[in-house]
Amino acid sequence: MSAIPLREFGKTGVKISALGLGGHHLGDAADEKTAIKIVREAVDGGITFFDNCWEYNRGKSENWMGKGLKGLRDKVFLMTKVCTHGRDATLGMQMLEESLRRLQTDHLDLWQIHGVAFDNDPDLFIRPGGAAEALAKAKEQGKTRFLGFTGHRDPTIHLKMLDTGFLFDSVQMPLNPFDYSFHSFEQLVLPRLVEKGIAPLGMKPLTGKAEPLKKTILTPDQMLQYAMSLPVATTITGMEKLDVLYQNLKIAQGFQPLSVAEMDAIRKQCGALAADGRFEHYKVSLQFDNPEARLAHGFPIDPQQKEVKEMLQETDNTGRPFPILKS
Amino acid sequence: MNENEPSMPPAAGIHRRDFVKGAALTGAAIIGGGIVMAQDISQKISKAMTGGAQVPQKPLGKTGLKVSALGIGGYHLGTAKDQDEANQIVAQAIDAGVNFFDNAWEYHEGESENRMGQALKGKRDKVVLMTKVCTHGRGKDVAMRMLEESLRRLQTDHLDIWQIHEVVYHNDPELIFKPGGAAEALLEAKKQGKVRFIGFTGHKDPAIHLKMLSHDFPFDTVQMPLNCFDATFRSFETQVLPEANKRGIAALGMKSLGGSGEMVTSGTITPEEGLRYAMSLSVATTISGIDSLDVLEQNLEIARNFKPMSDAEMAALRERCRKLAGDGRFERFKTTKMYDGDLGREQHGYPPAKELPI
Repeated sequence: MSAIPLREFGKTGVKISALGLGGHHLGDAADEKTAIKIVREAVDGGITFFDNCWEYNRGKSENWMGKGLKGLRDKVFLMTKVCTHGRDATLGMQMLEESLRRLQTDHLDLWQIHGVAFDNDPDLFIRPGGAAEALAKAKEQGKTRFLGFTGHRDPTIHLKMLDTGFLFDSVQMPLNPFDYSFHSFEQLVLPRLVEKGIAPLGMKPLTGKAEPLKKTILTPDQMLQYAMSLPVATTITGMEKLDVLYQNLKIAQGFQPLSVAEMDAIRKQCGALAADGRFEHYKVSLQFDNPEARLAHGFPIDPQQKEVKEMLQETDNTGRPFPILKS
Repeated sequence: MNENEPSMPPAAGIHRRDFVKGAALTGAAIIGGGIVMAQDISQKISKAMTGGAQVPQKPLGKTGLKVSALGIGGYHLGTAKDQDEANQIVAQAIDAGVNFFDNAWEYHEGESENRMGQALKGKRDKVVLMTKVCTHGRGKDVAMRMLEESLRRLQTDHLDIWQIHEVVYHNDPELIFKPGGAAEALLEAKKQGKVRFIGFTGHKDPAIHLKMLSHDFPFDTVQMPLNCFDATFRSFETQVLPEANKRGIAALGMKSLGGSGEMVTSGTITPEEGLRYAMSLSVATTISGIDSLDVLEQNLEIARNFKPMSDAEMAALRERCRKLAGDGRFERFKTTKMYDGDLGREQHGYPPAKELPI
């Protein structure tokens, strides 16, 4: 078995695995036992990059990853995200403590701002008292080694975040063959990160819901290979079943990047299909908005949406954007 | 002349095109003294004739034409009750000084053009008539056939402006400018004298407009959504309008109230705020969908009394909308497929919008 290649995490000198395990899908595993097994086999298979987020599956994703990583914490590069969605640094610090407790660790390797999706998010992030202050403080306190942000909506919002002047170590974004021809992070954001030595983290290599695969436009292998062949530090993908993990490990172990010609051929294959954005709903559709983020911004929510129903079912929800933090 | 400074239309009775021809012959520099004086007189005449102020007019880019600051949208003319109401909308609009008429080959499968053609009978020379071609990626031949059909329905031998409709997909610029594509049809039609000026329109994404404008092509007009929400969300106002202004391409605003009036019906802004904001931008006209005499009267009232908003007023309105604009729900033409025509989607090989999530 060849190993998964390790790549530079920006200019930090740290190396991470070219394939990363996504925290959201871990919470969709059949049960806790399966999730723990996925984490442990991923580590065995050479994955060192673990992604998570304070709000994924209302804490279940972090809890299960924490349990899965018991005794393995030092072998991995652990990232989670803070979900202030424009609110204060104080709230951000409370979320950090909760994330650390759930993940059963005293520090993160990377802490990122989650879900930068609305045009005014960069302003809210950098304002006095905003989440930027929480990031800086967490690093100062040694509770995280590196800082970053993520979002799936719009490359121009990512650029605005970079324009705030905050010193990010990493930036996460959707990168896949469809992205290349529609509101493209690959074309608009990736080159700037490479130039600045900020670690690019790819996500949604299969466009989030793997729709192109259902329609047999591209194979999963092609999609994942495409994403991993870009100049990124890692490609984060969701694996809620062991089968999916094994399939991805097969692609990632001993991975050789596609040639320029192969990349171009794949881009061409989906260019015209990509141009209305229906394969990348996360960039265009209000339906894919995170309801917590919408509430935090004062936008109305759709009570029919699955995530909204889940949110409203929470017994400790006060009716405000977030349930009261337990810490 | 500052495009934000509206001037009054010439007197009723002077044939629009004669007037324009005269102005064009004598050159742009003349638009200073003599003609302005003539317009002062004409203002008084038209006031006396109609008993009220007229809708102001502005230059249409570098074309030498002048168009009313409010334009009548063709789509909604097709949703008016019947031909009779459409006739009245058109006649009353013209009486009030409106001379800009918008349409598209595909609106209501031709009914919008048919109705406008009927309503403009005997009035063709008083108006600047625009319609759009709906190739959606197809070639010049299709476009030229659509042009003939549009001319027949509109009962005229020429258009003042012919635009490419619904440039909304990221590969549209490529398809339009491919050899044998719709861009060639625009030039051909102009050469044949069937259209005087050419342009394009789309409601989706400033980046796509800029891609269109990056081609070295003699566009006379460019149409885009312009409203007080657009200013802070995927903004045509900040990204495309300056480019059009810089190049002297006439900017045509649309969707001043959100496409279906949702900015107003939600109680967020008044129709007057919305329309005045859009009309205060450096555009030639603001095209407004009017499907009843009530809406016409409301919009005419705003346009007749139009005074551009001050910079401070505009900034205050933008600020009020900024927080609401951030998720794009007030501009669903940008964020959803709800405003994308099935014909265009079909031509691109995309499933109809109703089969997709919002």
